[in-house]
Amino acid sequence: MGGGGIPPIPYVYTNIPNKRIQHTSVAVNGSPQRAWRAPNNQQASYLTCCAIEDLAAALKMDPMEVFAKNADYTERPETYRKQLVKAAELSEWKRLWHPRGQGGPGPVKRGLGIGINRWAGGGHQSECRCTINPDGSVMVEIGSQDLGTGTRTVICQVAAETLGLPFNAIQVRIGDNAYPRSGASGGSTTVGGVSGSTRKATTHALAKLYAAVAPALGVQPGQLEAVEGRIQVQGDPKKSLTWKAACGKLNAKIVEMGTHEQKRPMGLTSAGVGGVQVADISVDTETGIVKVNKFVAVQDCGLIVNPRTAESQCHGAIIMGLCTALYEERIMDPATGLMLNRDFDTYKLAGIGDIGEIVVHMDIAPEHDSRGVIGLGEPPAVGIQAAVGNAVANALGFRVNSMPMTPDRVLAALEARRNA
Amino acid sequence: MQPFEYANPGTVQEALGLLAARWGEADVLAGGTDLLPLMKDYVIAPRRVVNIKSIKKLGGIQKTGAGYRIGATVTMQELVDSAEIRKLYPSLHTAAANITSPQIRNMGTVAGDLCQRPRCWYFRNGFGLLAKDAKGQALPPNGENKYHAILGNSGPAYFVSASSLGPALVALGARIKLVSAKGTREVPAEKFFITPKTDAAREIILAPNEIVTEIIVPAAGRNTTYEVRQKEALDWPLATASVALAMKGSTVTRARVVLGHVAPVPWVSLEAAQVLAGKTITPDTAEAAAKAALAKATPLSQNAYKVQLARVAVKRALLAARRA
Repeated sequence: MGGGGIPPIPYVYTNIPNKRIQHTSVAVNGSPQRAWRAPNNQQASYLTCCAIEDLAAALKMDPMEVFAKNADYTERPETYRKQLVKAAELSEWKRLWHPRGQGGPGPVKRGLGIGINRWAGGGHQSECRCTINPDGSVMVEIGSQDLGTGTRTVICQVAAETLGLPFNAIQVRIGDNAYPRSGASGGSTTVGGVSGSTRKATTHALAKLYAAVAPALGVQPGQLEAVEGRIQVQGDPKKSLTWKAACGKLNAKIVEMGTHEQKRPMGLTSAGVGGVQVADISVDTETGIVKVNKFVAVQDCGLIVNPRTAESQCHGAIIMGLCTALYEERIMDPATGLMLNRDFDTYKLAGIGDIGEIVVHMDIAPEHDSRGVIGLGEPPAVGIQAAVGNAVANALGFRVNSMPMTPDRVLAALEARRNA
Repeated sequence: MQPFEYANPGTVQEALGLLAARWGEADVLAGGTDLLPLMKDYVIAPRRVVNIKSIKKLGGIQKTGAGYRIGATVTMQELVDSAEIRKLYPSLHTAAANITSPQIRNMGTVAGDLCQRPRCWYFRNGFGLLAKDAKGQALPPNGENKYHAILGNSGPAYFVSASSLGPALVALGARIKLVSAKGTREVPAEKFFITPKTDAAREIILAPNEIVTEIIVPAAGRNTTYEVRQKEALDWPLATASVALAMKGSTVTRARVVLGHVAPVPWVSLEAAQVLAGKTITPDTAEAAAKAALAKATPLSQNAYKVQLARVAVKRALLAARRA
């Protein structure tokens, strides 16, 4: 028992003027709740996006149009409108979408569907220690963690870009209580926190290096810049020292701290992201098996430090969402109360052959850059069930209203439809 | 795992001497892809594990007369890689290639595939092969049975045979060679698989102190396997069909249609064979054969969908055989 908290519905389209919400909690003897990626939001997106697509079908309208027309009910209408257009372009919506139930002649029906996400995220409290040694080596220490999110890469990149050095010149140390304190990973707040603290610590350390080097170059410390492995005079790059030579001027190592304060972000981070996703699937109506052809995700996330790791985050989130939509379920034995599928052969997860083509478009634009670094772990994980559920409804002409959409459920829905 | 003694014999005779007269004392280790998980889950706890991979004569694929001999310890990958097997026995090739994990194909052996234990989650969770609760009541019929049997399921066995190659070998009329201290016997693949009536029995006719040494596959006409499965990545099939046809021109003179993963044993459908005899394969005759194959299915509370999937498997296997 973990409490049946109401999901945030209507989702994203929060300002719908006339709404009535009915919420019922159901007790299941299934042990307490556990961590999930964007908990409650996936359900909220599913409920809302399915309702909007059902409305579109009833009105005989293209759901892309309905989502766009009503975007004023969201917090960021223009952004969502642009993202809907982009998602439509990347999924070839115009060419591939059809009204419900017109999924093609043979037993395999194709369909497209939309899912929307939003998330707060942010940057948690984080402290970083930067050390510059006289031999030129650099170490960055943060008591943070990398869950596969690319935290190490982000820390390294922020340090490297601040100091004008290549990535392999920076030693990144995380994952130990001996390092300065940084927040736990949850709520998509890590990259915002660690990039802020790293930026500050390395900036402070660099300032100390400038102070040590400026006399040798005959200028004030404020006239120096760190570019491509050199400390040089702004506007007069020939007046420079290599990084190693510059550090050689140090009498002792530089050790500087930087703190990112959650409550005083100073423009380095903020909260609030969103995106639009489209699923392109095929259903074999003879077997009930759903296959993913393509999945498109358009996602904004503030200032993106590393587009490649950001895309990878989206890939992982989408794969996870596909598992939720098509494969994952916990099967409890009614007689013994035991979880029966406690192994990965029966608790099914997608493999490479199951995920189709995943296309991620990070929405990089000045309007997002200006908002600072924001965490990305959860938002792209939100809308997949909605998109896939809607795509199956589009393919079949009616909704399979139970997740995961395993062959038995799809066949049962088809049969119920035939008998109706 | 429970501690065990590990034996590594170099000959079949040596290996036989290390096995016991009763199940549970000693187990044969080939690829270990089923044995090790069973031991790690404490479903079985043999006191001695007998590795047979060092016995060279148990390997190899050779032509023999009009057919082929496949050694017991031939891996699934070796089977997949064999051009002759692929050409002559596509039903076997497909069944092996559909184990979509290179790791398992590289370790798992053909004999191991035949001898593997069921996937029934009650069995794997320690409720015994025939899955009973503390009061002796069968668990699957009133429990979670979406992956259980739709044929041959009057009880007490409700699991499905997990063998990938079994249905194809039965369709091809293959023979399994078994060796014990008492001598050698050859068993038709169809008779190798049995439905146990007690927890102490097994799903195969192999005795505890007997070893599969080879599979002999006779010459074959067109043969195909079709699998219905949810995932492309490693996944257990939901229903399969293997067909082997003797044809005169485009007319089927004799058909063997065997269903997989729908019964405690590979399920031979005489009904489907009857429908096909003397006919050409068309979408209509394939559909009729499929319907006949499942006409007597007795699904449980949650697995009626498997009847449809098995029908599709039969139909598509036949249509693929026609195209071959």
